[in-house]
Amino acid sequence: MIAWDQALAAPRDPAPPLPSDRDALLRGFHPDHAPGAMERLRVGVSAGQPCPAALADLLQSNALVEDVDIAGRAMREAEVLVLGGGGAGCIAALTAARDGARVLLVTKLRMGDGNTVMAEGGIQAAVGAEDSLQRHYEDTLRAGHFRADKALVAAMVRDGPASIRWLIQQGMGFDLEEGEDRIGGHLLRKKPGGATAARLLSFRDYTGLELMRVIREAVLLTPGITVLERHPVVELLTDPHGRCAGAVLLELGRREIVLARAGAVVLATGGAGRLHLNGFPTSNHYGATADGLVLAYRLGAGLREVESFQYHPTGIAWPPHLAGTLISEAARAAGGLLFNGLGQRFVDELAPRDVVAAAILREIAEGRAAAREGCEGVLLDTPGLEAANPGILAKRLVTLSHLAHRAGFDPAREPFLIRPTLHYQNGGIAIDAEGRTAVPGLFCAGEASGGLHGLNRLMGNALLELVAFGRRAGAAAVEAARGDRPRGVGLTHLAAWERGLVAAGLPLDRRAPMVFPPYGNVDLAAMLRQRVAA
Amino acid sequence: MSLAPGAGLADSGAMPIPIIIDGHAIEAPPGASLIQAWISAGLPLTENVGCMGQGVCGACRVLVRREGERIATAALACETRAEAGMQVAFIDHFPARRPHAYDLAAMGDSWTALGQVDAVFPEAKHCRHCGGCDAACPKGIEVQKAVTLAVEGRALAAGALFDHCVMCNLCVAACPEHIAPAHLGQFLRRMANSLTLRPGDLIERIRQIEDGSQAIDLDSPGAAP
Ligand SMILES: Cc1cc2nc3c(=O)[nH]c(=O)nc-3n(C[C@H](O)[C@H](O)[C@H](O)COP(=O)(O)OP(=O)(O)OC[C@H]3O[C@@H](n4cnc5c(N)ncnc54)[C@H](O)[C@@H]3O)c2cc1C
Ligand code: SF4
Ligand code: SF4
Repeated sequence: MIAWDQALAAPRDPAPPLPSDRDALLRGFHPDHAPGAMERLRVGVSAGQPCPAALADLLQSNALVEDVDIAGRAMREAEVLVLGGGGAGCIAALTAARDGARVLLVTKLRMGDGNTVMAEGGIQAAVGAEDSLQRHYEDTLRAGHFRADKALVAAMVRDGPASIRWLIQQGMGFDLEEGEDRIGGHLLRKKPGGATAARLLSFRDYTGLELMRVIREAVLLTPGITVLERHPVVELLTDPHGRCAGAVLLELGRREIVLARAGAVVLATGGAGRLHLNGFPTSNHYGATADGLVLAYRLGAGLREVESFQYHPTGIAWPPHLAGTLISEAARAAGGLLFNGLGQRFVDELAPRDVVAAAILREIAEGRAAAREGCEGVLLDTPGLEAANPGILAKRLVTLSHLAHRAGFDPAREPFLIRPTLHYQNGGIAIDAEGRTAVPGLFCAGEASGGLHGLNRLMGNALLELVAFGRRAGAAAVEAARGDRPRGVGLTHLAAWERGLVAAGLPLDRRAPMVFPPYGNVDLAAMLRQRVAA
Repeated sequence: MSLAPGAGLADSGAMPIPIIIDGHAIEAPPGASLIQAWISAGLPLTENVGCMGQGVCGACRVLVRREGERIATAALACETRAEAGMQVAFIDHFPARRPHAYDLAAMGDSWTALGQVDAVFPEAKHCRHCGGCDAACPKGIEVQKAVTLAVEGRALAAGALFDHCVMCNLCVAACPEHIAPAHLGQFLRRMANSLTLRPGDLIERIRQIEDGSQAIDLDSPGAAP
């Protein structure tokens, strides 16, 4: 460990880093491979799959509600029920409503408060003349260590350019190359780490904000969509044949249980960063607690690659009040270099994220990190970036400069101290190309779904996925909802689930979904019990 | 709990900072944001929170009065650090008084688009130039100037001023004329993009996909290790 002053004084040597064995690096230092990090699932359709212990605890727990809790509760009706108000949920809701369905969209916080609005770097779509759908397809598979589902990846990649057109039609802006015309000009493209072509399209370095505010406005103005904010889903509802037919909601304002019945349900509850796996800080929003995974799994939806999480290389290590906050890959895509405390480069900055993160963790583990007020990390050389591209911090990396300002330093003069932060759930609920899960009536899109990224996601593919599959799932849900109104809706699936827990020797009193992280000081189970007692 | 955001702050040994949030007198760890101060005091957090520090979702709106100041200012709790003697109140989100409804897809003729500004946001021309919106904006956006430009028909210039707006809607709450400036901004920006952004490379690639010259070979050599 090298003291901050010393690390700052060490001359930074821009010579390329020595090549290292990527597999050994991942096995030795990536948190997914840490000893004891994984256990095998013991109940449910994906029993036997490896899964981080903290997530397995949630997946293998009992429901928060039982029959008595839902008896006589008010019932809302919709054709399509969308769970989660981030990008994927809002886009599914828009698509379904425009296809003529009556849509109910429910969300835990406010509509838009999720990981989507936080996305900075951009969205991938193969539009460059030298680029092709084939290259985007192969880059995605390779970055994911060939574990992604080929049909899903091909569907996403093929939807790429049309997804960008769709976003522009909703009113979203994209950066054009310097001096290019709004009609006929070329889009500004950057090369994401791990890709072979410049394919990342963006709106400044707050692409997700631009996307989310446009989509939220569209949802608000589209007739046929009812939005319920501060209504987390705490359980799904089924009909007697095991078809998903709605959800149990907790209206936080009045602390009331409300039921929603629908012909089809789209689950879009996003990621799991707030589980803080392996003790890592996270870049994710407050509501990223894996709720959707827990609920869908209990109903019989299969999971895939849930053992794989993305630790973003550049989270803030210092100052502590910003720990875990993301510094976008845009800084490295623009040429920003990483140095250890000795002023040496130690990894190709644009290698895939899992490799860069593992390399940083190696520098920390082997004592070459810099330490500032007790916080350890490596240097992101923003002064070097600014010197090579004068004006870039103020003009192109607005969010980064703003962040440095909040941390109390000038990024043109001082580097950031960074270390990996828990960022993205690579796997999730298994879906097909229409967003169907294994459970009839249940669809899934966005970060909650699995199969598109294998064991590692390329930057910009998450935003593309949520647009492409939000639209696909929304449209497919409308088709599925065109039948009889579900009857006999209830919690019939729970009896078999509890038997499974007992058979596996698992406790019945552990309850999930988590809904709010433990440090949110909310005891949901108690809140629900209180209601029932009253 | 050690995983809590900002948990490391309490260990620094420096003196805790006394503040009042929503009537609770609490001691904030030094350096903590107002959101971190709230949870570290053991208070339940189920609303007025989102991105938790990036300052980008606009959920955690607060009124802050610093010691010795007479006037409270609006801010985002995740971006504002606790200072001794601060008084803080979270601001709830009210639904807008009425939606300013329009249909982008129906706006086929760009010659009539500017006229839509007045049709959808008729209140804008009654701006009193009271500056309430500017004072309310935690992002320093020149809201009043944007409203004036919009009324003059300068749609792109007005929309551009809302470039980094996080849609916290504080300007909406502040405006006595119910102009809903942030939604006006979104209207102008969305209209401009949907009517005038036509990237040539994007259009060419979509044409190639439609004519079949961008087919994907699922089992190409590059699709296997
Ligand atoms: C800081 C940051 C930067 C990123 N940058 C990029 C980037 O540049 N490019 C890229 O492609 N990807 C990026 N990503 C990833 C990408 O933003 C996300 O994967 C994606 O936006 C997820 O979209 P979503 O709609 O599935 O989830 P979200 O946008 O997170 O929405 C999920 C919603 O569901 C709600 N919800 C959760 N649980 C419940 C419940 N029980 N009941 C009801 N509602 C619930 C949540 O509160 C939330 O509103 C970034 C992520 C982060 C955190
Ligand atoms: S909504 Fe209004 S107050 Fe909030 S950031 Fe945008 S312009 Fe500023
Ligand atoms: S608050 Fe409303 S009336 Fe006052 S200056 Fe702003 S837009 Fe005009």
